Amino acid sequence: MTIMPPRKHGDASDGMVGGRLTRFEGSLKLTGAATYALEYPIDNLAHAALVQSTIAAGRVVSVDVTRALASPGVLMVLTPEDDLGLRVSADWQGNRPEDKPYHPLPREVQFNGQSIAAVIAESREQATEAAKLVVVTYEETSPVMSIDDPAAGEGKLMDNLTIGWGDAEAALAASPVRIESEYSTPREYHCAMEPHGLTAKWDGDELTIWEPSQWSHGMARMYAEWFAMDYEKVRIISPYIGGGFGSKGQPLAYGAVAVAAARKLGRPVQLAVTRPQNFTSYGGRAATRQTIALGASEDGVLQAIVHRGRTETSVYMDYPEQTGAATPILYKVENFSSQSRVVPVNTVTPGALRGPGKNPSAYGIESAMEELAYKLDMDPLELRLKNYADHDYQSGKPWSTRMLREALTQGAAAFGWEKRSQQPRSMRDGKTLIGWGIGCGTFPVIRAPSEAMIRVLANGRVEVVSGSIDMGQGTYTILAQTAAEALGVPVSQVDVLLGDSRMPGSSIAGGSMLAGSITGAVHKAAIAARDELIGLALNETGSPFRDTGANTLSLVGGRIEASRGGGPSLSLQELMQALGRDELEIRRNTLAENAQTPDDQKQAWTTMSKVQGPTSGDLSMHSWAAHFVEVRIDEDFGTIRVSRMVSAFDCGRLYNPKLVESQWKGGIIMGIGQALLEEGVVDPRNGRTINSNMADYLVPTNADIPDIEVISVGVPDLDASTLGGKGVGEVGIVGVAPAIANAVFHATGKRIRDLPITLEKLM
Amino acid sequence: MTRTIHLNLDINGKGYDLDVEPRVTLLDALRDHLVLTGTKKGCDQGQCGACTCHVDGRRVLSCLTLAAQVEGRQVETIEGLSGADGTLHAVQAAFLEQDAFQCGYCTPGQIMSAVACIREGHAGSDAEIREYMSGNLCRCGAYNSIVAAVRQAAQAVVPATKEMADA
Repeated sequence: MTIMPPRKHGDASDGMVGGRLTRFEGSLKLTGAATYALEYPIDNLAHAALVQSTIAAGRVVSVDVTRALASPGVLMVLTPEDDLGLRVSADWQGNRPEDKPYHPLPREVQFNGQSIAAVIAESREQATEAAKLVVVTYEETSPVMSIDDPAAGEGKLMDNLTIGWGDAEAALAASPVRIESEYSTPREYHCAMEPHGLTAKWDGDELTIWEPSQWSHGMARMYAEWFAMDYEKVRIISPYIGGGFGSKGQPLAYGAVAVAAARKLGRPVQLAVTRPQNFTSYGGRAATRQTIALGASEDGVLQAIVHRGRTETSVYMDYPEQTGAATPILYKVENFSSQSRVVPVNTVTPGALRGPGKNPSAYGIESAMEELAYKLDMDPLELRLKNYADHDYQSGKPWSTRMLREALTQGAAAFGWEKRSQQPRSMRDGKTLIGWGIGCGTFPVIRAPSEAMIRVLANGRVEVVSGSIDMGQGTYTILAQTAAEALGVPVSQVDVLLGDSRMPGSSIAGGSMLAGSITGAVHKAAIAARDELIGLALNETGSPFRDTGANTLSLVGGRIEASRGGGPSLSLQELMQALGRDELEIRRNTLAENAQTPDDQKQAWTTMSKVQGPTSGDLSMHSWAAHFVEVRIDEDFGTIRVSRMVSAFDCGRLYNPKLVESQWKGGIIMGIGQALLEEGVVDPRNGRTINSNMADYLVPTNADIPDIEVISVGVPDLDASTLGGKGVGEVGIVGVAPAIANAVFHATGKRIRDLPITLEKLM
Repeated sequence: MTRTIHLNLDINGKGYDLDVEPRVTLLDALRDHLVLTGTKKGCDQGQCGACTCHVDGRRVLSCLTLAAQVEGRQVETIEGLSGADGTLHAVQAAFLEQDAFQCGYCTPGQIMSAVACIREGHAGSDAEIREYMSGNLCRCGAYNSIVAAVRQAAQAVVPATKEMADA
């Protein structure tokens, strides 16, 4: 892969960490030359099309494949009758359940839209057409349609999510000012622009999979376990990913089907999941319900928070969307209680979607805080500052860095908050009601080890090699900057190779942990490579530095020379020539020194077992945000426009502010969609997702989005990561929806407690 | 359906011969038969804009266009936009400078729409750009930068076009 050097803009610091370098792989994406998973030409390719269930619960009695098999070009039809010979894989922590078969095309139907058959044909068109001819006979049982179905019940209490300190119930009862409300969010979907899919190709007992992946090593491990093969024999290739947002971190049933079909057929197989099928091939964010009660003194000091959450899960796995995740850490509170339940319904198991847990959690507590502010007749900004948490009241630990006060005050200043009038419906422009609201956000610093390789080539170019991925966050760019700075070469001399499970291991691109993790490994490898180059230059025969008497050298701007000046000055190419070397290869990881066995390494790159949470040390570490929103609402029609936004963030040091600003805005925009547009609608008759396409499941368009101002108030946090950054990718969305809900209340005097806030709810 | 038809397509000024089933869309013909994979499939239902190409200079959704429909017409895709020497088109350069993309998957469609949006004369104000770029979804949320890039490119392109017209 050749990386075209990007055009540079701005000053010379662009190539350094913290510089505003344009996107490193930009030209490839802008010219159509970047290759996404289904874009590799492969000879003799067959195409698979999925058949999904049309009932929500029951059993496949029979599948009539006669007509499909007779259809032109059809090579094979797979149904629950076929034993594909797979075994269940270990979970994300690496825990292997008892050895059981895994049926990606199951006989038991657990939700509407579950894959139950696949047609493989010579062309995509033939497979798609023949899939319509597969006739499935079911024996239906009685499904639970959604969390609102009376049959759903109260769900199961998740003991591990029960949090409490002080005596919240008593403190609440004793509080002179109280509010209590229920907040609801619907099913929400990732809708990455690149639909899921893969191409699978077997060469003897070796398997190559081209599939968009947020975690090449973890996915290779899970595929290997399904197919009972050596992990080393599975290769995932994923250099470009058309968005993931949490949906592309693990292999899914359709992947198992494609790989099994390729093995059975002895031909490479491509399976493109259609856009509607994407809505049920993996889970989006669970529907949530939470009740929050706040107690405060008459002067607005929080006395107690009582939180009860319920979230949808599937009938086959308990996946909690943690609505109590942000509740305990945003404010100073001495009495706290939170409980969470999962409610099994006939849906695909929900999954992680940008800011999992924190996002709906912040929607609850940040809406409740403004309800309290209005009850107290206090400025919501003042209430937040008054109850500022001086430390983490949940863990009892001090913050590593927490510039949330600065985010609130600087955000307020940039927004012009002081011009706000307190009363709802008190600001207007003709027939347009204007409202202002605040929402705070947070996301934990999650740390994980990674590995990286630096290769210095004979031509003087430097390669950074990592199996980590770039789905748009900017991994290519910040790794080029990290290596260039640590090594002392211009960024234009660096190439970055990513997205291949054969490359050095890395953490998942999820939980906002990748940047902090992988820059640490690249920094370490680049420093080691620089030291190695200098050592060789001082000591090797053939090096012009050997007899200069210099005891150290410097590598600056791509040239190696005596630190004190004078004497020879060589480019890396000249040095490699003088040393007679074709290549210098340095590999380093950030695992503990006593955890370097091959098993330790495999565990680190393919499971979550070495991942550390935000309070695993002596400190509590998180990113923080404060969003300020203006909405304009047509008084007659109830149409809502977000007309202005200012968001201030503490994400520590920013490795590339240009790219960070883009990612923050992306999160904010997804938050605007969540607040005003996005809602998976379930058909109460059959549990089907009705709006399973991009015209009916509304995501924000360009015309929905105003100019958004983002501000960084962070300071380097060297406890959080080697280079001082905290997570950037997810915190952007957290707190946006409540800020908008709060602004809508300020504009209209009407509190909408179930998302999305659509015009009929304002009528 | 097994019958194939022979097509000769003019894509980016080059002739391509291909034999495809009549039901093959322009999008699938480009991606699966001609290895012109710069045009993206986001929904295959005409909803997202990722597959936007130009046919006779106008933007079309290639997922809703049959390959057979464009025979005898001029198709332009993202691969045809930059110069033969790799020089980026003004719109591409503005997208890079403004960071108007993240994952890059909607980007070719955004750029093809942006080129047409400017040519149509619909880049006169930010509000107009937003409106005329709203057929192209971007889930990474690069909208602010897309507007800035289109504005910047329009300023670069329009005087150049005017100069040509004047000459």
